[in-house]
Amino acid sequence: MGFSVGFVIGLVGVLILSHAAYSTSQYRGLLKITEDEFSGPPFSVVVELIVGLVLCMWAALTVPGNFLSIHPHSDENRMVSLPDNLDFMIFNHRGKVFVTEIDMKLKH
Amino acid sequence: MAGHNESEKKSSDALDDLQTFRAENLQSNMKVIYYSRTFLSIIGGVVAGILGFTGLTGFVFYFLVMAITSVALIAKAKFSIHTYFDSWNRVVFDGFLGGLMSFVLFWTFAYDIVHIF
Repeated sequence: MGFSVGFVIGLVGVLILSHAAYSTSQYRGLLKITEDEFSGPPFSVVVELIVGLVLCMWAALTVPGNFLSIHPHSDENRMVSLPDNLDFMIFNHRGKVFVTEIDMKLKH
Repeated sequence: MAGHNESEKKSSDALDDLQTFRAENLQSNMKVIYYSRTFLSIIGGVVAGILGFTGLTGFVFYFLVMAITSVALIAKAKFSIHTYFDSWNRVVFDGFLGGLMSFVLFWTFAYDIVHIF
């Protein structure tokens, strides 16, 4: 599974949020039986919501990727980056005259 | 002659002042911001619905979430906005209204599921 750490954290956050939603609706059912007024979710749900929100915020900031510099002169934006040993590179040499190993195998 | 040099110098200054930046990288940065804002407005909507916010409180909550997101995005850009964006508006305001729509949608959705059914 090729999920990144941020993605898994976001998944955990969403699961925590859905659990918080489930416990709140259970709590609403309880209030209906005891005939109390709803004044706000219980403390554990609030803690769950805060934890879930923080985890999702972490995911939202890390998953989409990093910012790229827009300066044309910064290092990562150089149009060409040639290696330093250009003078020593040889593209044309006598090796091409010799029969390659692959050709030998094909003939046999 | 001096006047001519002066004008030449001014035009070259104007050329230096001209903003040149990589459009593709700016576009990819904007995409990152849109992703973050959309996802967080959906999550903020769900949280507001579970908490049972109604009316103005929910919108205040949205502004709060977006303000925190803006600060977090600025922190992600290592507080040097101008290496990644051409203006502050991009990081502070872009995607705000579109996010509000998703926020209201998921706010009412979560509220209905948790509190009404």
